[in-house]
Amino acid sequence: MRVHGVVLASWLAGSVLLAFIVVPLAGLAAMEPLRNLVQVAAMPDVRLAIWLSLLAAFLTAGCAALLGVPLAYVLARNNFRGKEVVAAIVDLPLAVPHTVAGIALLIVFGRQGLIGGPASEFLGLQFWGTLAGVVAAMLFVSAPYAVNAARIGFEAVDPRLEKVARTLGIGPWGVLVHVTLPLAWRGIMTGLTLTYARAISEFAAVAILAYYPMTAPVKIYELFLESGLDESAAMALLLLIVSLALFILFRGIARRRAPISGGGR
Amino acid sequence: MKPAGLEIQAACLALGQFSLRNIDVTLDAGEILVLLGPNGAGKSVCLEMIAGFHRPHAGRIMIHGRDVTDLPPEQRRIGFVFQNFGLFPHLTVARNVAFGLCVRGLGHGPASQAIADLLRQFGILHLSARFPQDLSPGEKQRAALARALAARPELFLFDEPFSALDVRTRDQLRDELKTFLRDSGVPAIFVSHDQTDAALLADRVAILDRGAVQQEGAATTVLSKPANRFIATFVGVENILAGRPLDRHGTMRRVQVANVVLYATCEDEAAGEALLCIRAEDVTLRPMCGAGPPGLHGGTNRIAGFVSDIRRQGPLIRVTVDCGFLLAAGFTQREMRALSLSAGQPVMAEIDASAIHLLITGSRGPSHLSASSALSPRDQVNCL
Repeated sequence: MRVHGVVLASWLAGSVLLAFIVVPLAGLAAMEPLRNLVQVAAMPDVRLAIWLSLLAAFLTAGCAALLGVPLAYVLARNNFRGKEVVAAIVDLPLAVPHTVAGIALLIVFGRQGLIGGPASEFLGLQFWGTLAGVVAAMLFVSAPYAVNAARIGFEAVDPRLEKVARTLGIGPWGVLVHVTLPLAWRGIMTGLTLTYARAISEFAAVAILAYYPMTAPVKIYELFLESGLDESAAMALLLLIVSLALFILFRGIARRRAPISGGGR
Repeated sequence: MKPAGLEIQAACLALGQFSLRNIDVTLDAGEILVLLGPNGAGKSVCLEMIAGFHRPHAGRIMIHGRDVTDLPPEQRRIGFVFQNFGLFPHLTVARNVAFGLCVRGLGHGPASQAIADLLRQFGILHLSARFPQDLSPGEKQRAALARALAARPELFLFDEPFSALDVRTRDQLRDELKTFLRDSGVPAIFVSHDQTDAALLADRVAILDRGAVQQEGAATTVLSKPANRFIATFVGVENILAGRPLDRHGTMRRVQVANVVLYATCEDEAAGEALLCIRAEDVTLRPMCGAGPPGLHGGTNRIAGFVSDIRRQGPLIRVTVDCGFLLAAGFTQREMRALSLSAGQPVMAEIDASAIHLLITGSRGPSHLSASSALSPRDQVNCL
């Protein structure tokens, strides 16, 4: 009986939070006429901004996978001096206001910046006002989600399974590919999904480092300034629908058994 | 001369604060060594060193005459079975068994048939498509053994595979494992902290404590003749009595325990302090009336005392007798009914001199000891 009371109280508290999340979004959907939605969806620059957001978020998740997942593996599998410092650095973007992140990125990735200068001079890669800048801003604010979730995923893999695999004739790379990654798959995919979702929603850091080309949140802000609530709300709803659909899709993929399993159940 | 299945020569390993020191083990083909030790003794580290996960900084490891000291685990041809059998949860039984071959691209053609034969041999062919979490412990063990065997190991290592199982399942799987290892002819090391595993599975037993082998030898020798107090305690000797060695009588040695003199079969002439190790099952009790006088009679020690405690321990009943020191005896319920003992009843305890394992330690001669000062009656070790 006591358990039921605890569960009931937890549900009540949780429901308030759920309502807090759902009601504003539902209100947005309810107040917006379908006519406005179709009209905004027909605007080429709106479609371009949404497409750019999706592309940049996808590239961000890719960068997080390439750079963040190995870091997560190191943090999960190795004990070394300064490990807690490294973990704190990973979490740092979560504690930094995103306007601050944008300014810091602009200083480093700008035309004369520590990274932006040489990258422009030697590689022809510019960050200020480019897709690369959008990805850099998104990666800065969303990478902690990829690293932390993947780290939890790796930590959940019993190291003894990796040892068994070694004794079955597989080298360390084979063990990583055939045992560790499939078993940490859910954690990694959850992290990348969160990274993707966080990247799409980023406004402040992107607006400072790469206002152009406009991502969807920047475009919504511009529509709000230029045309008021009607058009910006319609585009916001459009972005919400697209983001939610992709988020649900990716979470579904993350929940699936790892592809190497040979026929999940 | 045929090389030993496994030969570890004076292997030393340092891992942070912990170290393994001078590990010397030799195993012939088909032999089973049970490595016993308390938690933290270094059993698992020792297995991992043999498997190649830690490189010893001194000594050598040879498997069938092949020096594997510097080889990585994947080149040592070792079958490793962990606690709860360590099956890959994301793979079906068939893919677990074929894992080593499949990831090396060898899982087709004749190898595929060999895997099917292996699954059939272990009686798990019908479970091929199942995942490990849907298997019983017995099925898991068979799948793990089949998987290890598929890699054609030259040595098996078992790291407490039964520790998470109930007693009944453990007994059943232990029998299965013993049969499998006998048939395979592959030498095996089985790590455990349960002396039952040693008693029922081992040809040889090694006792490890704080990174060093305390005793190694034939299972019957180690279990019945522990080399020191720690081992005697660890292998479950119920009576470990401190005593003072006296003179010899032929092949026997007289030992003073409290105010009683016991005779123990012992070739050792050394003086010092004595520990007498006596298994509870080697102590018999008789009602006092008609039991004859105390002392040595036909190679049997008779000690007068009274029953101080009777308690059930699993299927056995443990009777503690106060003879001036506490002596534990173990009986079945049927034996207890025949004896009809009760607390406070005078009894005669009987122990064959050959059933007393005498350890003489220290260098202090008998003249430095007196029964009253060194051997307080209540100071006896009694592992009840």
